[in-house]
Amino acid sequence: MKGAKLVGIAEFAVTRAPEQLCCIGLGSCVAVFIYDPEARIGGVLHALLPRAPDGQKSDARYTDSGIRMLHSEIMSKGANGRKLWAKLVGGARMFPDLDVKLRDIGGENVRQARKTLRELGVRIVAEEVEGDKGRSAYYSLEDGKVTLKTAFSEAKEI
Amino acid sequence: MDDSNTETILGIIREFANVGAGNAATALASLLDMELVNEVTSCEIMPLSRIGEWLGGNDKVVAGTYTQLCGDLRSGVLVVFPRESAATIVEHLAGEGTDLVDLSPIQVSALCEVGNICLCWYLVAVSRMIDTDLIPAPPGAAVDLLGAVLDIPLAALGGSVDAVIAVHTVFKGVERSFEGYFLLLPEDLMLKTILDKVGDTLK
Repeated sequence: MKGAKLVGIAEFAVTRAPEQLCCIGLGSCVAVFIYDPEARIGGVLHALLPRAPDGQKSDARYTDSGIRMLHSEIMSKGANGRKLWAKLVGGARMFPDLDVKLRDIGGENVRQARKTLRELGVRIVAEEVEGDKGRSAYYSLEDGKVTLKTAFSEAKEI
Repeated sequence: MDDSNTETILGIIREFANVGAGNAATALASLLDMELVNEVTSCEIMPLSRIGEWLGGNDKVVAGTYTQLCGDLRSGVLVVFPRESAATIVEHLAGEGTDLVDLSPIQVSALCEVGNICLCWYLVAVSRMIDTDLIPAPPGAAVDLLGAVLDIPLAALGGSVDAVIAVHTVFKGVERSFEGYFLLLPEDLMLKTILDKVGDTLK
């Protein structure tokens, strides 16, 4: 998908129709897409770890603080909080056999994203999460659709 | 570190990288039953965030084997074979051509073992360089998008690792050649130990 702006790890971006955003090679990272279908404003967070250590309220590396940063940026651009929905992508378990801490960091990222979105009152309308395969996600602010690609299967839309 | 110092340190690390690559080539030659010569084409120290780009982009499909060291000198260790190289290895092992996204579980497992052997032999060279025993945890392996493969090292060590020692090696056989990347992700103490030992060597 040409022209989509890349959102890397520990970054978030907010924009409006007809722009496109993308996250390439999501493994255990989680991508949180938020959209207001009426204002056609939205954004995505590409988070690495579930929870920020105490006191770090503005760090997009973390799912919890990152979602709050993304949400507040979208609201400041004129979105209606009651109209917002979210989609979750990623959180895979990339090295199932690896015997080190953080091996299920993907699952923790997904659980944290659900929790923080619930606290903000943003409903989740679609998920493509966990498993053991990496994903790339292309997000159209035209209609809020997220197109998913893996190394192993046909593209799919959520 | 000033530039000339960095160059000298890299020169010494490159020598050890050559030893590691030589070890790995000998082991692989035996495993694959083919003659191999190796050449370290580049050896760099770079920030963790640059690795994806250095390896050709996060959307590339690769075979990666990853583990972490046990003990005080915490580090991540990652061996990556690019798509064509991994396919070449599997083709040689299985006797038929295949693509990385169509591998059977047994082929993935074989590829991972090749990665593990490389990883261990490079580690032996690092271990000699710093004159310290290094014990890796059992490795994990994945064939997937590079960005996805890099997530776990980043998540596990992103907060504590600044610099990555990255080595690119070409393994040349008579009929087939392939390339591989060895990445050492040292936490502060490990990096300091390496630089101190290299510094001692300079004196």
